[in-house]
Amino acid sequence: MDIGLIHNLSVGFGVALSLQNLMYCFLGVLLGTLIGVLPGIGPVATIAMLLPVTFNLSPISALIMLAGIYYGAQYGGSTTAILVNLPGESSSVITCLDGYQMARQGRAGPALAIAAMGSFFAGSVATVVIALFAPPLAEVALKFGPAEYFSLMILGLVGATVLAHGSLIKAIAMTLLGLLLGLVGTDVNSGIARFSFGLPELSDGINFVVVAMGVFGFAEIVSNLEQGESREVFVNKVTGLMPTWKDLKSSSGAILRGTAIGSMLGILPGGGALLSSFAAYTLEKKIGDTSKFGKGEIRGVAAPESANNAGAQTSFIPLLTLGIPSNPVMALMIGAMMIQGIAPGPQVMTERPELFWGMIASMWIGNLMLVVLNLPLIGMWVKLLTVPYRLLYPSILLFCCVGVYSLSNAPFDVMLTALFGLLGYIFVKLECEPAPLILGFILGPLMEENLRRAMLLSRGDATVFFTKPISGVLLGIAITLLLITMAPTVRKTREVAFQE
Amino acid sequence: MLKRWIGLTAVLALMLATAGASAQGYPTKPIRLVVPYPAGGPLDIMARAIGQKLTEAWKPPVVVDNRAGAGGNIGADFVAKSAPDGYTLLMGAVATHAINPSLYSKIPYDPVKDFAPVALVAQVPNILVVNPAVPAKTVRELIDLARAKPGTLNFGSGSTGSTGHLAGELFNTMAGVKMVHIPYKGAAPATADLLGGQVQLMFDNLASALPNVKAGKLRALAVTTLARSPAIPELPTIAESGLPGFDLTTWFGLLVPAGTPPEIVARLNAEIVRALDAKDMRERLEKMGAEPLSNNTPERFAAFIRSEAAKYARVVKDSGAKVD
Repeated sequence: MDIGLIHNLSVGFGVALSLQNLMYCFLGVLLGTLIGVLPGIGPVATIAMLLPVTFNLSPISALIMLAGIYYGAQYGGSTTAILVNLPGESSSVITCLDGYQMARQGRAGPALAIAAMGSFFAGSVATVVIALFAPPLAEVALKFGPAEYFSLMILGLVGATVLAHGSLIKAIAMTLLGLLLGLVGTDVNSGIARFSFGLPELSDGINFVVVAMGVFGFAEIVSNLEQGESREVFVNKVTGLMPTWKDLKSSSGAILRGTAIGSMLGILPGGGALLSSFAAYTLEKKIGDTSKFGKGEIRGVAAPESANNAGAQTSFIPLLTLGIPSNPVMALMIGAMMIQGIAPGPQVMTERPELFWGMIASMWIGNLMLVVLNLPLIGMWVKLLTVPYRLLYPSILLFCCVGVYSLSNAPFDVMLTALFGLLGYIFVKLECEPAPLILGFILGPLMEENLRRAMLLSRGDATVFFTKPISGVLLGIAITLLLITMAPTVRKTREVAFQE
Repeated sequence: MLKRWIGLTAVLALMLATAGASAQGYPTKPIRLVVPYPAGGPLDIMARAIGQKLTEAWKPPVVVDNRAGAGGNIGADFVAKSAPDGYTLLMGAVATHAINPSLYSKIPYDPVKDFAPVALVAQVPNILVVNPAVPAKTVRELIDLARAKPGTLNFGSGSTGSTGHLAGELFNTMAGVKMVHIPYKGAAPATADLLGGQVQLMFDNLASALPNVKAGKLRALAVTTLARSPAIPELPTIAESGLPGFDLTTWFGLLVPAGTPPEIVARLNAEIVRALDAKDMRERLEKMGAEPLSNNTPERFAAFIRSEAAKYARVVKDSGAKVD
């Protein structure tokens, strides 16, 4: 522990603990939780709406509030994912898998509690990581070129099969369909619009929120309405609001692993959050007793939730150290900084240390506020489940539509969401799972972009994926993973063949 | 019966009186300022700053409406098809009014016929930055390096058809070299790869590149405008470093739909020029590297747009870039 760090932290806490900044922090996390809970409306839309307000605030207060909205939304997003199977953020998609199943078994309370506790632990650890390792971590992130990203995505896609707890063939099919949907839009290298049917609204691709709201939200509502009154059943089985000791013990390892993965992957610009929650889930599914995954395993909530919160905090690193935004929210933060006349870049740390350290200190304070806010609120959220469905679903639908519209002020997006809702309903009928679709949808275009860029840079030499060290290692792990997953199937068919 | 006719005529007369937006009353309701790019970008921030100044001058608020997509075409098209009553403005840019018409195989609006230019807001240079590992300290050295080792230099850009891309293509044509263009989805990932050394150089937006230059993470070679930039006056221009006549700026300005009454256009122009003259706006513009503007009239802006469109038509054609 060097003196410099202690001095910096004291400067930071001095700034963050001022009454004004505490108030803005609270406002930010409260607002963030609210919009995270509301399906459809996300931090991007909210921060964009609040940008004019930041004109009149001091730079540090503005940034503290906006940052609070962002990581607050991660907390809130898990609430809708668990309660109504609606991912508020792309990183909450994984939480839907086991979280919603836990809610159906009457264990919404423990799920929400573990999510909050895991998020707090991960957020605190990630804040320490930022404080200690921000500049060197940023340099590591820069070592990831297109070849490395491509190999990382391949690793991710191979792991997609793990998301399937049904038929493997259907999971692969859904992943491929997701890849195809991800292709819609203008190709970055050639400038040609693909699958856009001549519509300018499709020339930038389909927004993730549109697909997620449609396939998860609308489809769920339609199929619930079809089932009729039988949905009320699991509400009566709410057993307890707090996790049991058994829950806490089994989740502790998951939380630690999720935090580690999230802290590492969050620093990678463009893909950190979803990839970290997904990777954490994949890892958990390979460890210990995996029988209950997909049917309400609490580790399946603890790991992704910790990972996405850790990822959300560490995604500030490229912003604070290099001035590079790792996702659209960070781009808005850059906008907020520029409104204040601060040029984001490497010199922010040295020229305005109170800004950098003040933000770090307030992140920790914000996490504390969030866990204090969220734990008592769990009872209230669970009560929401007891609201008669005929009152609940119109409000969910309304918020989804408002959220989707707020993306680009385009009615077209809302209609597209409805179309995906229909598609999602068909998937439910065919017993195809939407999670691999979402994964393919996000990873596919990233993979393609990075593959082609790596090939452009290597002038057509495909061996570059293996000769570059990090890329080679990642591909090696991917191939090994693939072989391990396929080996039992191969062995089984051989056994069956022998038996016959 | 007669009473009804008189009443109807009176109502019609009143309607006609208010339908033609009279310049005396303008503005009487909120004004929509359409920004055809996502929130938070440099164009958006200037739009919000100007919007705030206009709101302070006139009571009705100016509301910024982000309508991003298709390189700016969606927002531009929205305004092109809006009512010409002075209540819908567009923060148009070099992309929407000079580049896209030549770059895209078809765009849903006509940049000249569908719009009435109001005022130019800023003209900012792009800056040629290289990764410090590249052994070139001047534009001359870069050209020599490119000629000695053809096909080894890559330049990144925020998108196909952006000024960053076209600057590179113009450089290639004028210097007779072949640097390979690597497009990215936005300037941020391009800058990240430039810092990491995956690409060697970039014709980046001055405001975003300057902090990295000052921190020593990137080396600046020159600016792309004909005149040096007040933000970094010691940096030469590409034109004076070996490629005379090289001139590329990123600009943006306010436009309204064609057919808007000229009195409203004049009022908007006057107020915007006044807003741009305010001390805090001038500081903001200086930080972006923008040159101060003089004689900023709608007619000059219109002529400027026409000349820029012609210039970029040539550059785009020479580069072979196109978006379908």
